[in-house]
Amino acid sequence: MSDKPPLLEIRNLKKYFEQNSGLLDMLLRREPNHVQAVDDVSLTLEENESIAVIGESGCGKTTLLLTLIGLHEMTGGDIIYKGRPVSEFTSAEWKRYRRNVQVVFQDPFNSLDPKMTIEETLQEPLKIHGIGDRKERVRNVLEHVELNPPEKYLRRKPRNLSGGEKQRVSIARALILEPDIILADEPVSMLDVSTQAAVLRKMKDLIEDFGVSMIYISHDLSTVSYISDVVNVMYLGRIVETAPTDRILAEPKHPYTEALVSAVPIPDPNHDRERTRMSGAPRDPVDLGDGCRFRDRCPSVIPPDTIEIEQEAYREIMEFRELLERDEIAFERVMNTLSGSFSDDRKMADAIREDYFTHELTGENNAVLKEALLAFVNEKPEVATERLRKRFESVCETSPRTVEDEDGWRVACHHYDHGVTEMQIDQPETAQSD
Amino acid sequence: MTEPLLEVDDLTVQYETESGMITAVSDASFVINEGEFFGLAGESGCGKSTTAKSIIGGLDSNGQITSGKIRYRGTEIQDYTEKQLNEELRWKEIAWIPQSAMNSLDPLQTISEQAVEIGTVHTDLSKAELREKLKEMFSIVGLQESRINDYPHQFSGGMQQRAVIALALFLEPSLIIADEPTTALDVIMQDQIFKHLDEIKAKLDTSLLLITHDISVIFESCETVAIMHASQVAEYGTVNAVYDNPRHPYAFMFKAAFPDVREPDRELEVIEGYPPQLGEEIGFCSFVDRCPWATEECRESAPELEAVADDDPIHVASCFRKEEAYELYQSERPTTESQDGIAAMTNEDD
Repeated sequence: MSDKPPLLEIRNLKKYFEQNSGLLDMLLRREPNHVQAVDDVSLTLEENESIAVIGESGCGKTTLLLTLIGLHEMTGGDIIYKGRPVSEFTSAEWKRYRRNVQVVFQDPFNSLDPKMTIEETLQEPLKIHGIGDRKERVRNVLEHVELNPPEKYLRRKPRNLSGGEKQRVSIARALILEPDIILADEPVSMLDVSTQAAVLRKMKDLIEDFGVSMIYISHDLSTVSYISDVVNVMYLGRIVETAPTDRILAEPKHPYTEALVSAVPIPDPNHDRERTRMSGAPRDPVDLGDGCRFRDRCPSVIPPDTIEIEQEAYREIMEFRELLERDEIAFERVMNTLSGSFSDDRKMADAIREDYFTHELTGENNAVLKEALLAFVNEKPEVATERLRKRFESVCETSPRTVEDEDGWRVACHHYDHGVTEMQIDQPETAQSD
Repeated sequence: MTEPLLEVDDLTVQYETESGMITAVSDASFVINEGEFFGLAGESGCGKSTTAKSIIGGLDSNGQITSGKIRYRGTEIQDYTEKQLNEELRWKEIAWIPQSAMNSLDPLQTISEQAVEIGTVHTDLSKAELREKLKEMFSIVGLQESRINDYPHQFSGGMQQRAVIALALFLEPSLIIADEPTTALDVIMQDQIFKHLDEIKAKLDTSLLLITHDISVIFESCETVAIMHASQVAEYGTVNAVYDNPRHPYAFMFKAAFPDVREPDRELEVIEGYPPQLGEEIGFCSFVDRCPWATEECRESAPELEAVADDDPIHVASCFRKEEAYELYQSERPTTESQDGIAAMTNEDD
């Protein structure tokens, strides 16, 4: 058994988009910016397995799906279907692949042709792939998705169906070719809750009864648990954590997964959930360079071993360094708060500190920051950057390896990379002391 | 007892369409007190948005309040003219957060220009004072004060939504009506926004009418809830009463249809069928065709909202079998008991 290749294997898949290639950029020979929508993603889908990819909007999950079905050309890596790399596919193999890998899209209201009857919609893929018994197959598949009796639906057009019925037709359309794999992109997010439950249940049955494998893409952790055995958490193009669904919900390891799980509302007024401590939104996935993608929002970013500093104070320095490097310190705005004392460097430095920092620093940390701010107001931002980097550079500014434990739990975070096993996200006080 | 901020009393709203009158809201009643968050839940088309729109005169031109009263601080406002609404209520007293922030900001004006325009119409404050006020609101919703002079396109979606909330808060209204304010957002951003709304409530004693199909947000963030089905209020009460002691079958089935990350293995409830086509007022229970416990009585006349005998004085439900439906439901689903137990244990762990 073990020598049988997995159904679908995604190896270091990359999909970058180029941005900014206007005429002026070309004339000036500017390097185009790269949007790193999918960045080094590896996943394995076994037969009869249902895995989920979850993440916020803009994390690249839909791009991943579109790349999988060949609607985007991959920038790097490979997709291996039953042992054969997609990059080496002949056109006959492509046709077979497209028959065996089917998609259910998010929006049932726009993904069906409004001019076709349900029967025509469902017959079309059969015609394309030259499959007979069309009438029989259409009836069967409608019964499977519980659109009963089929006669009632055959002649209808999408506008005569409710949202839930439309999504069932979308599922039927995906099933009618008897695929191995269904890729589902937020298939219930636009449905009412009473319908949502029914469609989720139907999809769960399909996996179990028909032996279809599924990649379920969603931003909603609470529905994922009904469909998928394994969850991959995606953040800004990368998979940060992979684990069995029940375990990831109970004990998330990556700080981002932690934040995501803890922000899911609990439908119970007796349950007292603490609101998220996260602020801001993910940054744009443009030219992200090296480093953990989550470090700018991470509540437990790792300071160098050599210094002693509180997490919150350290965060402020990291954020300030980032702004400094991007040349985004609002110098003029801060100076406008000072009344005319532009000649006094110390006052200017203090004004910037007051605007960007709320936490006190002591000893060497304080001295280095003071020095850096003075260098900055003296118009030597590169000196300021260098001073701060030398003392405060975090291991999180290098990309973490993905480490895997014996249960197959995979996480890409320096807290694990470095042998730190106890996460201390909930106790910032204790995190400070080491 | 202090006077309630908003009272909706037997409100009926009808739309005139080519195929006749449609009753979108039928005899809805609820109360919102100062500093109270009230959630209005239900499927799409149940009349929750129409209810909210009728409060601030936002109905489409073919819609009208045909009976019932809306009282704001004791004054009847259901017959207010546009002029009265503009001068007395909108922005200053009642502000509106629409579902889609992207479409509700003027792309050609900076946020501060839009705020100054609103402020000049509704208050006597100077431009400088208005700007200061907007800065204050920006910091409450977690936006940098310096960004009040940005154009909407300079913000991300989540930031635009917060800018809209800042504008809604700007004149310190007593009531905010929010129509699915976070539906388009991710959970972390949604949580950030509710964190700010919690803070606003604590600081300014603001009330909220929250319209959403997401009952989990209501159970977490609101004190009271009304669940609507096919233009009628099925059940209304404090969130604890409606959660612990639900009386209307739609209310507890709706609740059970929601996934809960604490119980990933629980079967989700499916509510079969559809609400009746909205038309003239109907003379039977609107849930009758979807209700497993319906009897002949439910087809012969429509149940009225009546008090539920429990600790919650405001708790009402419109069901003939409200005394027994939930007990029947629980006894038919033997697993529910043990799952409640698991939920309770998880609670203690937290």
